[in-house]
Amino acid sequence: MNPRNSLMIFGGGGLAIYALFFASSYDQRLLTLSGIYVVLVLGYQFIFGHAGALSLAQGAFFGLGAYTSGILGSQYGAEFLVTFPLSVAATVTIAALVSIPVLRLQSHYFALATLALSQLLLLIAINWEPMTGGANGLSGVPPVRILGWQLARGLPLLSFVWIIAGLAMLVSYWQINTARKAAFTVMRETPLATAAFGIDSSMLRFRAFLLSAAFGGAAGALFVHTNRVVSPETLSFGVMITCLTMTVVGGRFGISGAVIGALLLTHLPEWFRGLQEYYLVAVGVLLLATVVFAPNGIEGLLRFGKSSPKPSAGTATDEKSDPADIGSSELIATHLSKRYGGVRALDDVNLRIQPGEIVGVIGPNGAGKTTLANILTGSATSDAGTVTLAGHDITHAPEYQIARLGLTRTFQTPQLPADLSVRDIIRIAQADRPAANTDAVLRNFNLLAVADMPCGTIAHGIRRQVEVCRAVAAEPGALVLDEPGAGLSPEEQGEIGALCRTLAENGLAILLIDHNVAFLKPLVTRMICMESGRIIADGTPEDVLADPRVQDAYFGVTTL
Amino acid sequence: MLAAQLLLNALSLGAAYALVALGFVLVLNATTAVNFAHGESVVAGGFTAVALTFFLPPDLRIPGLILLPGVVVVTAVLGLAIGALAYLPIRNRPPVSVFVTTIAVGMIVANGLNATFGAAPRTAPPLIGVGTIDLIGVSISRQSLAIIATACVLIGGLAIVLQRTQLGRQFRACSQDPEMARAIGIRLTRITLLSFAVGTVFAGAAGLLLAHQFFISPADGAPLILKAYIAVVIGGWGSLRGAALGASLIAVFEVGVAAISSQPLAEGLLYVIVLVVLFLRPQGLFGEPQQVRA
Amino acid sequence: MSQPSLHVESLTVSHGAVTALRDVTFTARSGEIIALIGTNGAGKSSLLRAIIGQASSKGDIFLQGDNINQLATEDRIHAGLALVPEGRRVFPGMTVEENLLVGGIRGRAERRLSIDEVYALFPPLADRPSDRAWQLSGGQQQMLAIGRALMARPRIFLLDEPSLGLSPRIARDVAESLKALTEKGAAVVIAEQNSGFVQPIADRTLTLSNGQMALPD
Repeated sequence: MNPRNSLMIFGGGGLAIYALFFASSYDQRLLTLSGIYVVLVLGYQFIFGHAGALSLAQGAFFGLGAYTSGILGSQYGAEFLVTFPLSVAATVTIAALVSIPVLRLQSHYFALATLALSQLLLLIAINWEPMTGGANGLSGVPPVRILGWQLARGLPLLSFVWIIAGLAMLVSYWQINTARKAAFTVMRETPLATAAFGIDSSMLRFRAFLLSAAFGGAAGALFVHTNRVVSPETLSFGVMITCLTMTVVGGRFGISGAVIGALLLTHLPEWFRGLQEYYLVAVGVLLLATVVFAPNGIEGLLRFGKSSPKPSAGTATDEKSDPADIGSSELIATHLSKRYGGVRALDDVNLRIQPGEIVGVIGPNGAGKTTLANILTGSATSDAGTVTLAGHDITHAPEYQIARLGLTRTFQTPQLPADLSVRDIIRIAQADRPAANTDAVLRNFNLLAVADMPCGTIAHGIRRQVEVCRAVAAEPGALVLDEPGAGLSPEEQGEIGALCRTLAENGLAILLIDHNVAFLKPLVTRMICMESGRIIADGTPEDVLADPRVQDAYFGVTTL
Repeated sequence: MLAAQLLLNALSLGAAYALVALGFVLVLNATTAVNFAHGESVVAGGFTAVALTFFLPPDLRIPGLILLPGVVVVTAVLGLAIGALAYLPIRNRPPVSVFVTTIAVGMIVANGLNATFGAAPRTAPPLIGVGTIDLIGVSISRQSLAIIATACVLIGGLAIVLQRTQLGRQFRACSQDPEMARAIGIRLTRITLLSFAVGTVFAGAAGLLLAHQFFISPADGAPLILKAYIAVVIGGWGSLRGAALGASLIAVFEVGVAAISSQPLAEGLLYVIVLVVLFLRPQGLFGEPQQVRA
Repeated sequence: MSQPSLHVESLTVSHGAVTALRDVTFTARSGEIIALIGTNGAGKSSLLRAIIGQASSKGDIFLQGDNINQLATEDRIHAGLALVPEGRRVFPGMTVEENLLVGGIRGRAERRLSIDEVYALFPPLADRPSDRAWQLSGGQQQMLAIGRALMARPRIFLLDEPSLGLSPRIARDVAESLKALTEKGAAVVIAEQNSGFVQPIADRTLTLSNGQMALPD
């Protein structure tokens, strides 16, 4: 059992003993409050931690859940079993409605939109007196009653809240399974490559936002039924700051982080009693210091580092089995054009790559090679023209879908999150092919030896191989490689070249962009030269390199 | 005439808001960082004025403008502290980190003021005395005039420095291409800290200007930062002129709607409008400044 | 003989995990023009950026005999280095005159002197001092970038593909002004794909291929 799990169990046991035998009724109240905050923070971890988005709406969701339960309970006498699900439903509905416009905003506008939403809700709560009780709020919210049995304050209520918290932990654990956690990591750390992995980042973010809302609403409902009143304070920015502080100090990821943060920040006012009104100043200092010195919170500090993975036995064998079912697709681009401001990045480009071909693309800087790659793979949209893959029109398809349909790419700098292992990376790429054999792919690429090592620790040449392996792992039919040989020694370049040749032999259609003509010439079956957005030569490498237009555009006067 | 008085109110509020928004954009341009403590910087300026009046005999009526140098010094130091503690240590981290550190600083300032002065709203002395002046048959309050005049002087001074001096050119170079600015010898860290200082001074000055008429309390920071934020959404992310314009529009809107209905409705409507704007144009009203390369 | 102006010893440059340059050594002496030839991706830009301090590198860089490894970019400029980067990188929202003035790192008097010299060298710039830099053509921006770097009266002048976008006549003028710079004691290093621009003025030519120096110093 790894040290962190034993710490959690030990800590949980200690807490239970404390609650049962040593806690006064005031302490029990604090523990109950901690349990409620655990639910709130677990929810916030989805959007702030895993999705990496600064949402300032978590307090609003808490308040919304609080008011839903408060109004239903106080004005209509509804019981907990009715108000609780309705609170969650209300917050999730509002979140869903708001998410469509809000989630596509860039981070600075996303924060603003969530902040504006929160302030708006606060204004409504304070001013819509008939409904919300105005600045004084509503009292007389019934206590928690389950099937006629009222939960008394103290231990029964405390246990109930922590049971709910436990359920929240289970939901969190279930939702952030290994595959999804890895997908979120890719989305946060290598946003450029997210879609290339076949990951639908909009869906991931949407799911995270809704989950955070649901948990926030649940926490609000719990709060109001334990306190028996609801007031505008539940919608104040103070709740948001508390939630943010708990998440940052406790840990943005992981259930233990939420528990640590909630417990710590609920009890700090007691421990810092001496500071009186300056207590919140101390919390601000704590928050600042944590971000600067311990960005992963206390949970991050406690993370006893992964034991260095042992390379699997039976390593570098040259024996390769047949590369499993690589698809083959014809890639056709017609009349592609793209303007950026006044610059014509692509000007009526026509291109056709058949299965088994390796087509090299050369050209000076600004010729349009990267724009071409971006438009083919969907990270940019063309102003005119079409792209088809194996007969399907993919011109307007979103990037992640193109990757899933079978056209993948590599990037000039390998986009591999440092903390994920090679095996993790390949598994993510294979996510929608559950039957795929990760080990077989790793063996084909001679990567079994490093399969369990974090990508941040492996040598550059091997990272390039991992990048190509990732692109091929989902059995694409066509592949776009962006300067795969850059920065590699001649031997390593030879290995990449051999890899490409094998892939092409198995039917893959490959487009290879590179500056290094010496690398390309023996490798490619056809060569294209681009300049100022146009293709100025297309033919065998010898013909293209001898073409005077190519020599002029690319090399100046010198020949190669 | 009621309309003229309303207009003047709107203009003077707009002048103060413009100072806040300009300070916000200065820091934004120099660092691409959103300074969430900016609202609290306004409050800090207002409270500095309040604190300074404690040192004066209570019967002495001094023009609030005398307090401006003191406010400038205190908020300049605050700005340097924010830059040095909340920005420089994490400037290479993703932008979300700066949001959180500046939220933390805002907490420190707001709660520190709350603990020291209490939560009740305070007022500062009027800038050049109370009462009105008669101009072309209209009664114009001295305070409104003073606010507008002070803001114009400060904004004019900023414009002159930015357009005519080497320091101003260095500022602008840093905001357009920080890497290249370093490559021509501009000391980026110094410029960054200076941006925080000047930005915070502008906020603090606005606090002094607002404190007499509108009162100032420790919790005022959040709505102010929200308005600065909205001003740049309206005026264009990173545009100084746009921010001043956006701030003025917000003030006109607030005063106008509040006159017809109520203050909370004006505020609420403002937030609804900004949400609608972002819904329809996720890149802001005028988008981000384009850099056209021939 | 005075200290060589610029000496690079066993320089290896990486961008993240990519090694762009391996074990490069060369010297540029006061009064020399060095041509650095190589195709795209050969490592020329990486070399210049490492000298100016904008790329992480191993190895040593000496300026007038002093090791400048620990100096930040801005300080290297104040020590006498200047770089005209690939892609010009003029400040788009500032006018021609402002772009030039901001390049001056010494006092105002010296700025006025230098700017007159730059206007004399590049008449197209003198014609439009109040135009914003984004409005200029590629060639005019190139002139502006060179002029901006000249404003600091550098002792070591590094240029990355300076002939890009320049008409042959202006290119010749630029080449001559670089020669004039060296007569005052500066050293000039020019990275180029177009050898036709540099060959006539270069005292020595170094070739980079795939991150390594093909001809020894």
